[in-house]
Amino acid sequence: MPVLTRFDTPAHLPEPTEGDRDAWSARIQGVVVSLTADHPQFFDPTVGEIGPDVQAPVVAWTAFPATLLEDATSEEQRWAAADASRDVQDEYCEWSVERDDDGVITRVTFTTEVPEYFQHLARDPDRLLATYRELVGPQVRLEDLVVDGRYQPRNVHNRSTTGRLAHLVQGSNTLEAALRLAAQATVLRHDADGQPVTSAMTLVRCGRLGDPRRNSDPQIAAAVNDAAATGAEISLQDPVGIYIDRLVVGGMETPDGEDPATFWTVERGDAEHVLRASYAVPPDRPYRVGDVTVDGRPIRFGAQLADRVSVRLTALVRPADHRPERRPCVG
Amino acid sequence: MAPPTTTVPSCAAFRQLPPEVLQPGSVHRLVLGEDDAVRVLGDEEAAAELGDPFATHLLLRGVFPRTAGDVLSALDRATPDGHRLREELVFLLGEGSQILMSAATVGVERRLRFLVVRGVGAEGADVLLSAAHPDSGDVELMAWDHRAGGFNYYQSVGDSTAWVFAGNSRHALCGPTQGKGPFESHVSGNVVMKELRSPWLHWHSRAANILPSVLPADPPLVGHPWVSSRNPQGADICEVAVAKPGINRWTRARFQRLVDDGVVDDPGRVMVQVLDTPSVNLIASNRESRDVAAGGPLVLPQTFFVDSEALTEVLGLPAPPRFAVAAETYLRSLRTFDVHQEDDAGVRHAGDTHFAFAVPERAFEDQAVLRRALAVGLLSERLAACLLMVDFPNPVFSRRRASLLAHVPPRARITEGSWDLSDAMADAILDAAPDTPAGSPEREFAELWEDVASLGDRLHPYYAAVTARLGSQAGFDDYVRLAESRRHRVRQMPISESSLLFARTDVPARERRMTADGTVVEV
Repeated sequence: MPVLTRFDTPAHLPEPTEGDRDAWSARIQGVVVSLTADHPQFFDPTVGEIGPDVQAPVVAWTAFPATLLEDATSEEQRWAAADASRDVQDEYCEWSVERDDDGVITRVTFTTEVPEYFQHLARDPDRLLATYRELVGPQVRLEDLVVDGRYQPRNVHNRSTTGRLAHLVQGSNTLEAALRLAAQATVLRHDADGQPVTSAMTLVRCGRLGDPRRNSDPQIAAAVNDAAATGAEISLQDPVGIYIDRLVVGGMETPDGEDPATFWTVERGDAEHVLRASYAVPPDRPYRVGDVTVDGRPIRFGAQLADRVSVRLTALVRPADHRPERRPCVG
Repeated sequence: MAPPTTTVPSCAAFRQLPPEVLQPGSVHRLVLGEDDAVRVLGDEEAAAELGDPFATHLLLRGVFPRTAGDVLSALDRATPDGHRLREELVFLLGEGSQILMSAATVGVERRLRFLVVRGVGAEGADVLLSAAHPDSGDVELMAWDHRAGGFNYYQSVGDSTAWVFAGNSRHALCGPTQGKGPFESHVSGNVVMKELRSPWLHWHSRAANILPSVLPADPPLVGHPWVSSRNPQGADICEVAVAKPGINRWTRARFQRLVDDGVVDDPGRVMVQVLDTPSVNLIASNRESRDVAAGGPLVLPQTFFVDSEALTEVLGLPAPPRFAVAAETYLRSLRTFDVHQEDDAGVRHAGDTHFAFAVPERAFEDQAVLRRALAVGLLSERLAACLLMVDFPNPVFSRRRASLLAHVPPRARITEGSWDLSDAMADAILDAAPDTPAGSPEREFAELWEDVASLGDRLHPYYAAVTARLGSQAGFDDYVRLAESRRHRVRQMPISESSLLFARTDVPARERRMTADGTVVEV
């Protein structure tokens, strides 16, 4: 694997200048360096050779919030709950829904774009505004986004589950949180009986690594922790980011028999690094998203698609000869 | 040497086939119940019977792979770049997969096996194969027959390049082939993913990873494409991309044939999937059993208490509340009933399965039949609701509901655009009810039929009673006993292939049933 000279932008998004690229890299490196100081098995891939034996395991999970599954009383209840607020969309993927005058869904937009990148964009207000207008619509004004010289991630165009969203805003959905989780999960744990803690949910609780009921935190923690137990060093693959992995169309049916996968459009990123995608029926067809069925039910909630959207990050595992000692639980 | 006559009507028949009776580089036929002995299929016969992509791309072209990995390589060679049969998903499961690898557990029979699928689309996968290792023979393979409909079932035997065609999904449904060979466990000719829903107990999933440390070391698998980069995929993907659409695909094809024919010669075969429990799925709490020690409520699977998938999701009756038990109540029950796991060699591991409180629920393939029967009009919503509300506290293994199969008419027809089954069956039960004892299933049905508007009202007191019982140790202990009686039934089913499928307890194996007041009685 080639030497990494700097952290690239999520999905290799273009930057106007080398200085902008360096600024993003410095932002990420600031987080990574602070984590490597405390976690000897978490490494900075921009320092030295990564090595030829490095593996890049993918950790994937479902966009629908697992925290809502436990209390669900019916499918409709959980779908409605997930569609009701961005604050419950805590799997590093959020979505918003557009409907027509009949209330029928016409488009669902998913994003995994992290707020840190928009803080980075906000260094140049014109660029921030242009990006918002591209993603959300021409109605966006700069004063909606920047107040007293500070970018407001939860602005009027990016806090609801209706319309078009811009980027992640749920409190846990940040790139720093993902990096911190990966670093902290390199610490091996044992329980009160001295037994190794390896199962995902228990590990997260034991190491205070996030919410054990989420899809994402336990998945990331378990994968990292298992690799760390071999003595390996761990990091995240460049371009560091959370990506939409795919939409599973099994069980979906369109009124005219068209392949339901054809209505999934990648809006930002590339085929390997999807940051934003939407599901919409082209205007030349006489039906809408709400006329497409999933397991026999018309799509009435964006969450029905979130059940089928998977999200991923890619770790880097570099063989090493650490001999970590297990520590007691802190949670 | 004369080929052996097969007398064992099960998948074991294939494992018992001596390799010397098979002709390498050939496709054979052994559809138990139709074939007295395994025989080589001639070219024309094979071409006429086999219309699936495994046959048309490989077997019928003289390509006979030896191992699971060879099957996939051969499909790659047989198809151009971008062909859907080159799109692959790999899944991993094993009943002992979550038992931590250590010196003490190195000998546990984990039954790790892979499911590899090719050709995934909106209707599921076209080819599904199951094998313990990429380099192993004894491959079980299903492939969708685009010409005849249904899945074709194949098996390779040992290290031979001989393949045996074991039947099509339709063989599961009628005549002497029912319940034999692959249809012993694929009871209705469908894809089987026992742990179909979250938390996908025993599968590698987003809820629980199967760690590389439990993978086989000889021959080693670490670094193999099946277990690196994006593989294995999570069972959550298998559920929505493979299992559910695959089950719906066969169910739709099966019912389309009935609609086209306009007659159902054996409606009982449909109704058994509505009223009885020919198969099950396994469901568990979404919480790791070891995590319960941290306190907080343990939310139990709704479908243990009521068939909410049918009654609520399909028929629109009131949804159950969240059924939960206090952590200390659950933990005390583990001690009370000596809950432990025990592998096939008899080695004990203290505690519950990885996810707590694993129990059977009504099979998705049976739910799919219900939905399809309603969609094509074979069943009316009123009949379905009233049938399924009979003995509703027992969503699986209800003798009372199953006894109503006696009233299924021998034949159903479409007349003037409508199926006659619902009226005929309802009339038969209503006619019989007055001559049955008080409290009979027929009388219960008749009462529901006459007051169909109040069906939902019957659920609320039950939900409240269960919720109250879950608040006491005695109440929850009764539910543990009920769960154990249902698990015992599953252990008798062909889909139960490992001692680690469920945890064990010291609860005596007696039949128990739930009552509408939330109490459990022994039968």
